[in-house]
Amino acid sequence: MITLSSYLVISTILFLAGIVVMIARKNIVAILLGIELILNASALNFVAYTKFVNQNLDGHIFPLFIIIVAAAEAAVGLAIVIRFYQIRESIHIDDATQLQS
Amino acid sequence: MDYTVGSVAPIVLLPFFAFAINAFIVKRFTKTAVGISCLAIFGSLLYSLAIFKDFVFGQYATNYYIHKVFTWFDLGPSFKLNMGIYIDNLTAVMLLMVSGCAFLIHIFSTYYMADDIRFGRFFVYMSLFTSAMLGLVVSDNLLGMFIFWEIMGFCSYSLIGHYYEKEEAGAASIKAFMTTRVGDVFFLLGIVMVWHTVARATGEGSVALVDIYKVLAMGGFDNLTLWGFPLVTCAALAIFMGTIGKSAQFPLQVWLPDAMMGPTPCSALIHAATMVAAGVFLSLRIYPLLEAGNLTTFVAYIGAITAFGAATIALVQTDLKAVLAYSTISQLGYMVLGIGVGAYNAAFMHLITHAVFKACLFLSAGSVIHSLHDHHTHAHVQEMPRMGGLRKKMPLTFLAMMCCTLAISGIPFFSGFVSKDRILGDALLRALDDGGALWGPAVLGFVAAFLTAFYMFRMMFLTFFGNPKDQELYDHTHVEKLSWNRNVPLLVLTLFTLGFWYSGSFTGQKLVKFPVIKKEWFQTLIEKPEKSKLGRFKDLKRQEWSSVDNRDKTPLPKSSYDPNHGLSEERAHHVHHVHHIGAILSIIIAFSGVGLAYLMYVAGKLNPSWWVNKLSGWYKALQNKYYFDDFYIKGVIQKGLLKLNNLLAAFDMGIFDRFAIDGWKTINEWAFRLSGKFDDEVIDKAGVGGGPLVVKGFNVILRTLQSGKVQFYFIVIIVVLVSYIFSI
Repeated sequence: MITLSSYLVISTILFLAGIVVMIARKNIVAILLGIELILNASALNFVAYTKFVNQNLDGHIFPLFIIIVAAAEAAVGLAIVIRFYQIRESIHIDDATQLQS
Repeated sequence: MDYTVGSVAPIVLLPFFAFAINAFIVKRFTKTAVGISCLAIFGSLLYSLAIFKDFVFGQYATNYYIHKVFTWFDLGPSFKLNMGIYIDNLTAVMLLMVSGCAFLIHIFSTYYMADDIRFGRFFVYMSLFTSAMLGLVVSDNLLGMFIFWEIMGFCSYSLIGHYYEKEEAGAASIKAFMTTRVGDVFFLLGIVMVWHTVARATGEGSVALVDIYKVLAMGGFDNLTLWGFPLVTCAALAIFMGTIGKSAQFPLQVWLPDAMMGPTPCSALIHAATMVAAGVFLSLRIYPLLEAGNLTTFVAYIGAITAFGAATIALVQTDLKAVLAYSTISQLGYMVLGIGVGAYNAAFMHLITHAVFKACLFLSAGSVIHSLHDHHTHAHVQEMPRMGGLRKKMPLTFLAMMCCTLAISGIPFFSGFVSKDRILGDALLRALDDGGALWGPAVLGFVAAFLTAFYMFRMMFLTFFGNPKDQELYDHTHVEKLSWNRNVPLLVLTLFTLGFWYSGSFTGQKLVKFPVIKKEWFQTLIEKPEKSKLGRFKDLKRQEWSSVDNRDKTPLPKSSYDPNHGLSEERAHHVHHVHHIGAILSIIIAFSGVGLAYLMYVAGKLNPSWWVNKLSGWYKALQNKYYFDDFYIKGVIQKGLLKLNNLLAAFDMGIFDRFAIDGWKTINEWAFRLSGKFDDEVIDKAGVGGGPLVVKGFNVILRTLQSGKVQFYFIVIIVVLVSYIFSI
């Protein structure tokens, strides 16, 4: 029997996985992948809630938006990564310390 | 004349400006300085004449007065000090006397002081002095009088010490200043007492004369006591102590004879005619206070003792100026005696007549002294035993001095007789009426009158009659020629030693009436401020300054002469009777004094040295001035004050310096050390050093936080969000 909590557990696992990836991985592309995981977790939450609580289409619209925004965000993020690589010849996150000062 | 503070002020300010200009601008004392002084005083004289004319010939009523004030300073509602002018008939007469005498004496000074090295300095102080005296006369309150009083004290000090190369002159100036200061301290205390009482009675403190009269009329002094004595007695006594000091009354008379160290014109102005009269003038002003304090008998005794004691000392003096000095004290004693026995009018009249003839006597003495030049010591001669026969050399001075001597001795037709006789008459009247203790002043007064006639004529005979005692000195003396600044002042003053100017009759009695007019203006215009007459002050509003004259302008009825002085017919008859007895007595006494002097010093029938031998104890006491100087210097000062001073010095140096000052020093040292430690340890290390430490700490924290590591920021965001969620 698939219940709301099953969805929520899955999404929590996804969310935590995304956070762990963001914190632990030093590769910028991996961090972007982590972000995607977090976004997917939230999109899953929307769909799950709308299926079990609202039973209308509002919750289905939001994942579509999230997918679009995530695509745009990934494009921008990858563009930054490429630009960063051109300058630093590295995609290691610890090289990006210019926010320090 | 419109009387406001501004319009009367020039009387005081003209001589004051002369003083200021001479002292601070015309620094090289030249003839210019002298001219300025004389002109300024002439200006004051003209002003005084205008006021005198207004009051005396305008014949204002006796109770007319002008009182205008301005606020000197204002320290809130309960303490506001007003200064102002108070002009009544007394002031008007006094103003003319002071400025007139001062002007003539200034003129004479241009002769007497001409070859003095400090010619200009003398005039500086003379101007200041005249200004202060005029200020005292027009002043409306006791504090104003006190201020001018002290300025005069200072001028007196400076002028006595004019010849400061002489040690005696310096000592005399200090003595005069310190002795009068004793009286002044009491005067100030009296002012404080009066201020306090007025503030209590009317709610606003004041020492203006009208306010004092008002409080007296309201009974504000009743039932107030100070250490068990009535406050009014204490206040009156304290203020009268000022008179005792300034007018050289017993027991503070010691300074005046020494004051003769100053130049003779200054003696004439300050120590004979005006300044010493200021004390008597003050007593006249506060007469209601003296009366309310029941001090009149005391005052009469002080005056009588002074008059008698000084007259006896004058008997043995050989210095020309010393005789005059003692006669001044004696005559001042008469005035105080007059105040004491209630002869208010007569005492004031004697003040005026005495000022005129005493100024003239001193100027004549100056004229004599100045022309007697000792070629061995290059000094002026003042000793009477070296004079004699001078009437041939100086006829004009002789004339002036003779008239004045006749006046002071109380010979009829001269001013001294008119005024002194009225004082003695009133003293006799009081003695006959009230008897008892009041016989003392009357008897002493008559005896002193005899002595006065004797010693004054002794002086005249020794100086101007007989053969020259010092032939060389006599031969060197030039024959006097009439000069405007030597003889004219003398002759003008001499003119005013005649009695009819003051009394309206030749003798002051009804015996020989002045043929044309009978205007006893003194008695008409000046009224004793008795208790019964103070009622008019009772509802008086406090006079406030305003540029508009808001005084009631209805003209007062002119005063008229009442031969009975408001007494009943029977009583007036009695008074006149007693006065006739007094007049006849004093004529007899005066002529017998003159006769005795004639027998002793001209006819040679009686030998003075026989009397000296016979009464050698008395003679010695008199020569030592009743040992008053010895008593004050050896007794009071050396035994008392000096011991006290030594004790205080010992306390000061031994105890106060050692323990208080040195102890304070130790305490301070400790305090310095402690505060130094505190500064080093606490302020510098903790305060000054602590600031950077804290900043540094914050720096480390902030620097650590801003690592620039994106993942760290992310952790922070997560932690914050999570903690936020959990805190909800």
